[in-house]
Amino acid sequence: MDTVSGTIGRAQRPRAAAPAGLLVLPAVLLLVGFFVLPYLYLLYMSFMTHTTGAAYVRDFTLENYTETLRDPFNWRIIWQTLRFGFVTTGITLVLAYPLAYHMARARSRVKGILMILVLAPLLVGIVIRSYGWMILLADNGLVNQLAEALGIGPFSLMYNRTGVMIGLVHIYMPFMVLSLLGAIHSIDPDIELAARSLGANGWQTFWRVTWPMSLPGVASGTVLVFVLTVSAYVIPSLLGGHRVITVPLLVVQTVQQIFHWPLGSALAIVFFVITIAIVAVYLKLMDWVMRGGR
Amino acid sequence: MSAIRLRGLSKSFGSLQAVQNLDLDLREGELVAFLGPSGCGKTTTLRMIAGFEVPDSGEILLGGREVSNLPPERRDTGMVFQNYALFPHLTVYENVAFGLRMRKVPRSEITRRVTEILDKVQLTGMEQRYPRQLSGGQQQRTALARALVTNPTVLLLDEPLANLDAKLREEMRFYIRHLQQEFGITTVYVTHDQAEALVLADRVAVMRGGVLQQIDVPEEIYRRPSNAWVAGFVGIANLLPGVVEAHDATTISVRTGVGMIRGQSGQRLPEGTDIVASVRPESLHLARDPVDDPHEVSVNRLQGTVAERAYLGNLADYRVRIDDTTVLRVQAAPFPAFEVGDEVSLTFAVEETWLVRPDSGGA
Repeated sequence: MDTVSGTIGRAQRPRAAAPAGLLVLPAVLLLVGFFVLPYLYLLYMSFMTHTTGAAYVRDFTLENYTETLRDPFNWRIIWQTLRFGFVTTGITLVLAYPLAYHMARARSRVKGILMILVLAPLLVGIVIRSYGWMILLADNGLVNQLAEALGIGPFSLMYNRTGVMIGLVHIYMPFMVLSLLGAIHSIDPDIELAARSLGANGWQTFWRVTWPMSLPGVASGTVLVFVLTVSAYVIPSLLGGHRVITVPLLVVQTVQQIFHWPLGSALAIVFFVITIAIVAVYLKLMDWVMRGGR
Repeated sequence: MSAIRLRGLSKSFGSLQAVQNLDLDLREGELVAFLGPSGCGKTTTLRMIAGFEVPDSGEILLGGREVSNLPPERRDTGMVFQNYALFPHLTVYENVAFGLRMRKVPRSEITRRVTEILDKVQLTGMEQRYPRQLSGGQQQRTALARALVTNPTVLLLDEPLANLDAKLREEMRFYIRHLQQEFGITTVYVTHDQAEALVLADRVAVMRGGVLQQIDVPEEIYRRPSNAWVAGFVGIANLLPGVVEAHDATTISVRTGVGMIRGQSGQRLPEGTDIVASVRPESLHLARDPVDDPHEVSVNRLQGTVAERAYLGNLADYRVRIDDTTVLRVQAAPFPAFEVGDEVSLTFAVEETWLVRPDSGGA
């Protein structure tokens, strides 16, 4: 999240005075303790040698990386995971934008109701939610019963990519809506009216005014959903039924089933680097677009 | 043919009647200021003309064309918003060019017209700046240029000076008037600032609670308000309630709490009518002793005591107590000065004493 808001926020914050600087200390400690240190340990482990009976032996090697990068299966899984990320992000953006727009422009009471509905998925644990989807999407689940009754089914909706995709879109939708809502809310409705009075119809106003002005929200929402999707574990595991493999699943399998900690670490690091690179290039691109292509 | 014609225009929001049965005609090239307190319906009326609000009933004709059912983009209006509503992601040039691009004007002509109008509003050299890089006054002029560059049928200004500091606001009044006359464009100017309305407008339309109270040239609005509310809203008015006692050819005699005074009215006021006499503070003259001819009939006379004096630089603002319930505001040259407690005589001309019907309430 730090990279996201740091790149997108336009105004530079004034440097905080020393005592106020102490206020960020808890957050920094938390981040170092639970994010930076584990990752450093992962990085360290990825250069160690595999052994049986222990996680690794302290013997520097590049073999985990050569093995990871050489295996075409890994690349297929990496690509599949990224594709989940791209498609889920795209679908949530398309679904969330109209909703966020109407929420931003709705009267406060309507807005409150919509907000509760949007946040509802987050109020239920991710495992419970996934089981909920399984009831709905199973071969003899509610959706297929309905489809059959209408004479158009059944569809295979679970233990395949479709099921994983439905679960991912549902779960990460609120993040997209909230990111867009903030950005659209900050657009003065008079600016859209100004465009209308200057001769732009509804669509022209959207494409030339509303959309470009909401790009900061689009950037943060898409990055957020993309990063969450490619690192998702529960949804692909439950709704994919281990017939759909993603990188997080593969890493866990490597560690837990063949007990190859260094190889699993190397795969995790490789994927981490790829994801960071994609996000960095994307944000650069968005920044360029937001500056009017200059 | 009227450039803008409003017929029976009404609009309500829930139980709030924002505009009630408004009839108005603006001549070609005329600037009419809609003046009133907030919530009087002036902005709602402007937004209905622009097409941002749909009237509940009534007609809007722009240049003879019925536009009530047209979306904003097909009404050919130029709008300047209170907060300017410039496109923050576009440069000054792109902001001004926006309307021309929407009208599919050829590129070379866009360049020519944008350059020309930016020169006219003194923003040459600012083309590549973004709105956030401009001062308030420059943003203001960008908004004006953007609204005018398409040569719209009407120019609509919604409190365009409200966000500027006092000194710039005063300069901009004259500037907007100058620009409007140069373009000869029919203009509706919404403001709650009476000085702005009086300085700028060919005619002022005073509104209250969605109802048009009076529309006339600024001098008439000030000197001959149509009712006690308008008298009190535009400028300062001393209001003396009373009852009509007698008429002659040009003047009306009124019995008030401070004695008989005489004044004039635009209405027929039969004897026994409750009225209010309105006298402007600068129409009241102070003297230590009655110096003029006591038999002069064109003047009203009162006696009072100076209760307060405020020095305003170019004039002095007095509160003069006439009796227990009546205190009059008097504005006069600061010298000779009267002190608090001084006994003074007040005189005011019959023709400066305007008789109107009392404020019947009504939001």
